[in-house]
Amino acid sequence: MSLVSSKQRQFDALVRSLSGDLFRYGYWLCSDEALAHDLVQETFLRAWRALDNLRDTAAAKAWLITILRREHARLYERKTPQFTDVDEIDVADERDGQMPEFAGEENVIRNAMRKLDAKYREPLLMQVLGGFSCEEIARELKLTPAAVMTQLFRARQKLKTMLDCGDTKGALVHELS
Amino acid sequence: MNCLEFRRQLAIYPQCDEVDFVQHRQECTRCAEACVHANTFEGSLRRALAVKTPPQLAESVLLAHATRQQRQRQHYRRGAVLALAACVALAFGIGMRVDASPLATQAVAHLRLEAEVLTWTKLVPAESVREAFATRGIALNSIPEGISFVGCCPMGRHMTVHAVMPGSGGPITVIYVLGDRVNEREDFRREGWLGRSVPMGQGTLLLLAEDTSQFDRIENIWRAALVGA
Repeated sequence: MSLVSSKQRQFDALVRSLSGDLFRYGYWLCSDEALAHDLVQETFLRAWRALDNLRDTAAAKAWLITILRREHARLYERKTPQFTDVDEIDVADERDGQMPEFAGEENVIRNAMRKLDAKYREPLLMQVLGGFSCEEIARELKLTPAAVMTQLFRARQKLKTMLDCGDTKGALVHELS
Repeated sequence: MNCLEFRRQLAIYPQCDEVDFVQHRQECTRCAEACVHANTFEGSLRRALAVKTPPQLAESVLLAHATRQQRQRQHYRRGAVLALAACVALAFGIGMRVDASPLATQAVAHLRLEAEVLTWTKLVPAESVREAFATRGIALNSIPEGISFVGCCPMGRHMTVHAVMPGSGGPITVIYVLGDRVNEREDFRREGWLGRSVPMGQGTLLLLAEDTSQFDRIENIWRAALVGA
C-alpha cells in the first residue's frame, strides 16, 4: 500500500513540476494548444505505467519528453493531417487578434520558429526548452553530436535570416550576427 | 580559439562556458559584443517559446489519471456483473426506455468519474475560465462568476469544457460540448441526477445537479457568455 502511495506521490510531483514544460514542448511540436494539452495528458498516462523504470528522477524531464515525442509520432501515424504549406497561411494575423501574448518581438520570433524546418526546430527546442546537451540531443534524435551542432548552428542562422527578411524588428537581427 | 570558431560555438550554444570560449570572449572586444547580443536574443527566444500553459493543466492531467485508474478498476469489477445483467436483459426481453440523449448519458458517466471536483469550493479566477474556453477556440462574451472548477475534458469522442458552480442547493455541473448540437432543449433524469441539455451556439450546454431550481438562471448566464444577450 505504501509502495502505491509513494508511486502516486512521485507521479503527482512530476505532473505538477513538469506539465508546463511538456505542454510548451508539445505545443512547438504540433502548433496546436488543444493537441498539446492532449499530448501532455497522454504522456503522463503512459509515464504512469512505466514509472517504476524511472530510477533517476533528475532525468525525468528528458524521459517524459522522449515519451511525448513518441506519442506525437504515434498521433501522426494514426491521423493524416491536412498539410498546408506554411507560406500559404499567415499564422501571425490569425493569432494576433486573439491572444495578447502573440504580439511584439516575441511574435516575430514565434512566426520564424513555426517556419523553421522541423529538423532544425526540434534540436533547438530540445536545447532551449528541454535543457538537453548536444550529446543528449544526438542520442534522442539518433544523430551524431557533430550533426546536432551543425543543426543548432543552422537553426540559429536560419532564424536570423528569417528575422532579417521580416525586418520588423531590426533590433533583433544584429543580435545574432 | 579564433574568432570564427568562437562565432560558430556562439551560434551552437551561446551559454558555453568552456575555458577557451570564455578566454576568447575576454580577449576579443567584438566577439564579446556579439556574445552579449547572442545572449540577449537567447532571452527573447526563450520568452517567445514559453507559451502560456492552459489553466489547471496539472489538475486536469491528475484528474484524467485518476479517472483512468478508476475506470480500469470498475472495468474488472463490473465486467462479470454487466455480462450477467446483459444476459438477463436479453433473456427476459426487457427493453429500457432511454429517457435521455446519448450526450446526457455520457455527461452523467463523465460526472460520475470526476465526482471529486464537485467537492471543490475555492473559486477559480475569471481568467482561467476565459482561457479554458479559448483553448477550445471559444471567445466568451462574458465570464460567468462562481466557478470552482474548469477544465478541458474529453468526454467520449467529444471535446468539452467542464465547469462546476457551487450553490446553496448543491453544486451544478456545466458541460459545454463542442460540435455536437442537440435538436431541442430537454430536461432529463439519469441515475439520480437531474439534467438539462440545451442547444447553444455551435454545441450543447449540459447542466447536471441534484435539483433544478437554478437551471434557468444558470442557463441564462451561460447563454449570455456563449452566444451573447
